[in-house]
Amino acid sequence: MDFSFNADQISLGETVGKVLADHAGLLAPKPAPAHQSAAWDALAELGLFALLVPEEFGGAGLALVDVALAVEALGAGLAPPTAVATLAATDLLVRYGSEGQQRDLLPQIARGEVTFAIAALEADQGFDPEDVTCSLADGALCGSKILVAGAAAAKFLLVLAQGSSGPVLLVVNREAPGVTLRHHDDLDPGSGFCAVRFKDVRLEDDAVVGTANRARAVARLFDAGATLSAGLLTGIATRMLETAVEYAKTRNQFGQPIGAFQAIKHRCADMAVALEAARSSAYYAFWAISQDAPDSARAASMAKSCCGESARMICNEAIQIHGGMGFTWELGLHCFLRRGRVLEYAFGDAAWHNERVLAQTLALLSSERSELAVAAQ
Amino acid sequence: MDFNYTPDEEKFRSELRAWLADALPQGWGETAFEPDDEDERAMFRLAWERKLHAGGWTGINWPREYGGRGATLIERAIFAEEMARARAPEGINIIGHNLVAATLLRHGTEAQKQRFLPKIMASEEVWCQGFSEPSAGSDLAAVRTKAELRGDKFLVNGQKVWTSFAQYSHWCFALVRTDPDAPKHKGLSFLLIDMKSPGISIRPLKQISGENEFNETFFDDVEVPIENIVGEVGGGWKIAMTTLGFERGPEDALGRQVRFKQELDKLLLTLSDLPRGRGKAIDDPVLRQKLAKSIIEVEVMRLNATRAFSKYMSGDDRGSDASLIKLYWSHAAQRLYETALDALGPIAPLSGNDEAGAAGGRFQLSWLQSKAFSIYSGSSEVQRNIIGERVLGLPR
Repeated sequence: MDFSFNADQISLGETVGKVLADHAGLLAPKPAPAHQSAAWDALAELGLFALLVPEEFGGAGLALVDVALAVEALGAGLAPPTAVATLAATDLLVRYGSEGQQRDLLPQIARGEVTFAIAALEADQGFDPEDVTCSLADGALCGSKILVAGAAAAKFLLVLAQGSSGPVLLVVNREAPGVTLRHHDDLDPGSGFCAVRFKDVRLEDDAVVGTANRARAVARLFDAGATLSAGLLTGIATRMLETAVEYAKTRNQFGQPIGAFQAIKHRCADMAVALEAARSSAYYAFWAISQDAPDSARAASMAKSCCGESARMICNEAIQIHGGMGFTWELGLHCFLRRGRVLEYAFGDAAWHNERVLAQTLALLSSERSELAVAAQ
Repeated sequence: MDFNYTPDEEKFRSELRAWLADALPQGWGETAFEPDDEDERAMFRLAWERKLHAGGWTGINWPREYGGRGATLIERAIFAEEMARARAPEGINIIGHNLVAATLLRHGTEAQKQRFLPKIMASEEVWCQGFSEPSAGSDLAAVRTKAELRGDKFLVNGQKVWTSFAQYSHWCFALVRTDPDAPKHKGLSFLLIDMKSPGISIRPLKQISGENEFNETFFDDVEVPIENIVGEVGGGWKIAMTTLGFERGPEDALGRQVRFKQELDKLLLTLSDLPRGRGKAIDDPVLRQKLAKSIIEVEVMRLNATRAFSKYMSGDDRGSDASLIKLYWSHAAQRLYETALDALGPIAPLSGNDEAGAAGGRFQLSWLQSKAFSIYSGSSEVQRNIIGERVLGLPR
């Protein structure tokens, strides 16, 4: 058993961080689409999107755990949301894509030529994938989605819809007839959130991902999406703690750096503890999901809940430590606050994941209890 | 990163599991429990520890030359998991195993290691810790208990508090002042004191839970042979910091995590069976959220500890990150017991063995005991100073 990252994984994370550091425009309160696409191009050139693609399709054949630190760097650098959406879609296609989908899409993904956005949420539903009302009937898709991050920049949408026997995932060309986009007014302009309407969109025969394993494909997307979001949140939390500590060391009040006051120092210590918790839960989830470990769904839910809570606390405290400066537009702390907050509602919020954690724990306990009862007889 | 276990590690696990199944009393955790009486319970735990020793399961990660198995930190983690799975009892000589042995292995003389380690391993000698004093709590370097060198003996005078298990202990390690004129941190030494020495008296101190686990310990002209100093005269602070590093570190945290997980599992099972209105207590959606948070936090305690193990195994120094580990588990565990009482709802006030209460009052007792977590082995405020200054580099 080993809980440490290897040199390649560490170096990949550092490289992604450096590449994004060259795109300062991403940290602007409202990044222009040009900044986002330039950053995407730089990540593609680096080969980020080839990493999860199997070698036979021109990729590196790596697992999600190999990109965990890179995902953290994507969070810390406020990378375009299509970057992780494309990683999530890749992970899904590698596991559940049809032969045709893999043959067509994976090489394009590896070359960084196609971008995915994920369309899961609906305005009048909760987070349960079972409840979606977008419907697939007779090869046509109808319904509306909200909060599709980066939809305008995406070539394909991965759409969660209600099929004849439960929810399914569909690959839909964003420019297909009947697909219309509306930009949301929302908390995080950098996420490029759109509402997407599907009006009798005729799908190709091979649009369903995981024809034979529809439910497992849906579950996988949610678990991978939750884990990737946890990684992004950890990156945001890391950056906000660093920023707050740096400020506490240099900002003077009452004749000394404010970090010498215990009121500030102790806040920073609590933030560091919260960050360690986030890392522990996120890294384990990345490993578990890469291995299809028996507890991977629970680990993903734990990570999403824990990292969301940690990032929220750390962003809030970072702003408080910056005092009046923290509240300004130009310092840009609010960009991290905003991104962190909207990520809390991606792929299930804390309450939804907490319920999953409890239900799965109770199921595990009751099966242990009956095993013990059998053993005692 | 790889959480899979090697065949050797799996073998270690299955050997231990088989041994535990055999060694624990029939019906353990279901129909057989620890004694209620505090003294009987202490003796029960001592007997269990000696049984572990007879089976070769103590000091597992000590070097082989001192009777250990030379187990890796991973095997130590497996050991903790299996003890949790079997709901095995705690030991009484935790201070001996976790603190004294670890400190002597680093700083003791060969003679001290030969003299003390085998008897700790066998739990023939139980240890207690003499650090805190009435006027030296968070400011530990302010200890006033005096040790004067007279020929080949130290003469010790003073008072220690919070000496857990002193009433069952054969030995005490103590931080004492050997030079009253030196700067505060430089005048301290680390002594090993035989609790049978004339001049030692113990007064039980009733704690918040009503138990007498800890004591006041008085030293009145107690003679300690000079060979019982660890390190140099005046070098006690550094040794004490080693001890505290282990007291706050991942091995200790993992041992505790095992207990918290047992209690949490017990809580979940209790609530699943506990009638509440037309359903069961576990059905309450607000409560389910709180319970889930505790499940996550108890798992994070484990992951924090195993992450630290991996750092140490790849050669990183043990450092101030022990404070991060301790600050996390102490508050997370307190939240767990707050939730436990809330979960019991109307019957939360019923403690002890009240027939209308739940689970024999264990959650009420644990809730009271949990108040100590953020105080002992360095209060949370001290841990926050250490993290702020030594981990984050904030100015003093």
